[in-house]
Amino acid sequence: MSVAALPEARPGARVGWPVVLLALLAFAFLAHIAVGAKTVPLLTVVEALVAPADGEFDHIIIWSLRLPRAVAAVMVGAGLAVAGALMQGVTRNPLAEPGLLGLLSGASFAVVVTVGFFGLAAPGWIPLIAAVGALAAAALVWVIAAHAGGGSTPMTLILSGAAVTALLAALVTLVNLLDEQSFEQLRVWLTGTLAGRRVETLLWAAPWMLAGLVVALGAARQVTALSMGDDTAIGLGVDVARLRLLILFAVVVLTAGSVAIAGPMGFVGLVVPHVARMIFGHDYRLIVPTSAFCGAIFLLLADIVARMALAPIEVSTGIVTALVGGPVFVWLVRTRL
Amino acid sequence: MTEAVWERRQGAVTFRLPKRAAAVFAMLIAGLTAVLVVSLMTGTYPLDVSGVLSTLFAEAPNDTAETVVWEFRFPRTIVAMLAGALLALSGATLQNVTRNPLADPSLVGVSQGASLAVVSLIVAFPDTNPAWRPVAAFAGALLIAAIIQMIAMRRTGGATMRFILTGIGLAAFISACTQGLLTYGNIDRAQSALGWLAGSVHAATWSEVGWLSVCTALVVPFLFWASRPMAAIRMGNDTAISLGVRLRATRIALITLSVALAAFAVAAVGPLAFVGLIAPHIARRLARSGVGLHLALSAASGALLVGLADFLGRAAFAPIQIPAGIVTAILGVPVFVWLILRTQSRQQL
Repeated sequence: MSVAALPEARPGARVGWPVVLLALLAFAFLAHIAVGAKTVPLLTVVEALVAPADGEFDHIIIWSLRLPRAVAAVMVGAGLAVAGALMQGVTRNPLAEPGLLGLLSGASFAVVVTVGFFGLAAPGWIPLIAAVGALAAAALVWVIAAHAGGGSTPMTLILSGAAVTALLAALVTLVNLLDEQSFEQLRVWLTGTLAGRRVETLLWAAPWMLAGLVVALGAARQVTALSMGDDTAIGLGVDVARLRLLILFAVVVLTAGSVAIAGPMGFVGLVVPHVARMIFGHDYRLIVPTSAFCGAIFLLLADIVARMALAPIEVSTGIVTALVGGPVFVWLVRTRL
Repeated sequence: MTEAVWERRQGAVTFRLPKRAAAVFAMLIAGLTAVLVVSLMTGTYPLDVSGVLSTLFAEAPNDTAETVVWEFRFPRTIVAMLAGALLALSGATLQNVTRNPLADPSLVGVSQGASLAVVSLIVAFPDTNPAWRPVAAFAGALLIAAIIQMIAMRRTGGATMRFILTGIGLAAFISACTQGLLTYGNIDRAQSALGWLAGSVHAATWSEVGWLSVCTALVVPFLFWASRPMAAIRMGNDTAISLGVRLRATRIALITLSVALAAFAVAAVGPLAFVGLIAPHIARRLARSGVGLHLALSAASGALLVGLADFLGRAAFAPIQIPAGIVTAILGVPVFVWLILRTQSRQQL
């Protein structure tokens, strides 16, 4: 693909969109806090956030239960979406995503084994353990795909991702069967849920995700070059190997942070970057921040659906994202491959 | 390459049977018998060979042996082997029709469609006779297969890789539906559905053996009819057409057949992953043969595989029972990876 084939950036579109996205995010955030078993008026939500009053019942609900969950949704959504965008850019694969390429199952397998089965680690270490698992799974998937006939094409990557995911899923079930107590602890977490997030978990994951986001934003410019092909990137003066390592770090860290907070939440990283790309074209300096915003909005909305659709029963948020993501994946297979 | 064959070229019945394949088939049957006997022997109440044989063919040594063998272990082992054979046949048919070595009912969403239908039945109508499960499974699986075909066929005549990828996407969607149903449903029913979903045969009784055998007897004759057009299609679409195969109709018929085979197995034991993928490849490795014999070898390998998986799952961490589906997945993934690695780049992957 030549540079000239890229669509022209639309200057008019750039000014309006950040405002729209910010407004949408703010609205989704407030709405997410407002709805629930006891619906709180939006005005009260704003009031509680701006000037919390001691002893006010609604304010206590919001600060102790609803706000951590909303923040968790924002962090996980943004993290996974940015991870997906980076993977799609670097591998030039429209189907790349932490879930499909095995990173999520690698991270959750590592957590289940170390924390659940051996009871080894203090909970504060979960992000690090998840990162190691995600990295190992990513490496395995990549090695398999690279040695397949034709090299690491979208097809071979997805297939080896499916293989690794199937194996890890079977092993997780095995571990859970052997140790029922850990199953009780981790059962809900394994379907990808935002329920019952505590503030500590968010604090453990926050530095990791922040680091990942900073790296992603810093490297976005070079990712654009790399998304046009290795040769183009080298011609433009990008150190491709170094950039790949940097992006791998960012992707793994973002994925690990998200898994530590919410368990494996599939398809967020697939759906959101494509939406971002539809709005902003192919410039990753715009796609990365837009993906972060859209991912946060998407997960907030998905979580509202998860809580409200079958109320009073709560569906796992990961189920909602899979229900949206499956059809999008099929559509991508039809149009992009 | 010359091969020792038994053949008969004249008369009403003609056949050509490679000796090696026949020998392999005999060995597989012997292996099946061995696994059957060992499965009947092991458990929390161990028996020796003579105990098993006398329970089966003569007077049981005592009442416990009678109950353990006839009520628990025997039906369970039979169901495992039948399901394995059906899944293997389904996988072999699917691989031949799509000419894709990676086709497997659990990979392309067929098993998941059957699962969703059965779980709906368990959760929403818990009082229905389990004999309706294969019907529901077949309907669900057929629906999913039709959707996948429709989506995959639109462009460039259904490139086989698109078929697989579409299946992976739909499988994720359907699994999410199933999980949602489990959260929504009554906890007891959800629990029973969950055990079934892991791909387990531990609750199998003679009634399962009964209807599974009936389904098998209904479908397998079609496979005899199908082996000829399948052999033609395996050589390529153009060759098949020039050999007089009505390609479109045959394709649809064969895929329906494969879906039915998988659906019955899934209805009995839950979605056992990767059996349909591995068994045909094992059969192909063991002996070169034509399509018909390859189907028979695949069925025997599949039966052996699931029988062995069930035995391992039962014996490895006793008294905890590992569902056979977990064991087949752990055995199957390395084979799947090997297949991905082996696929040449010239094949459109």
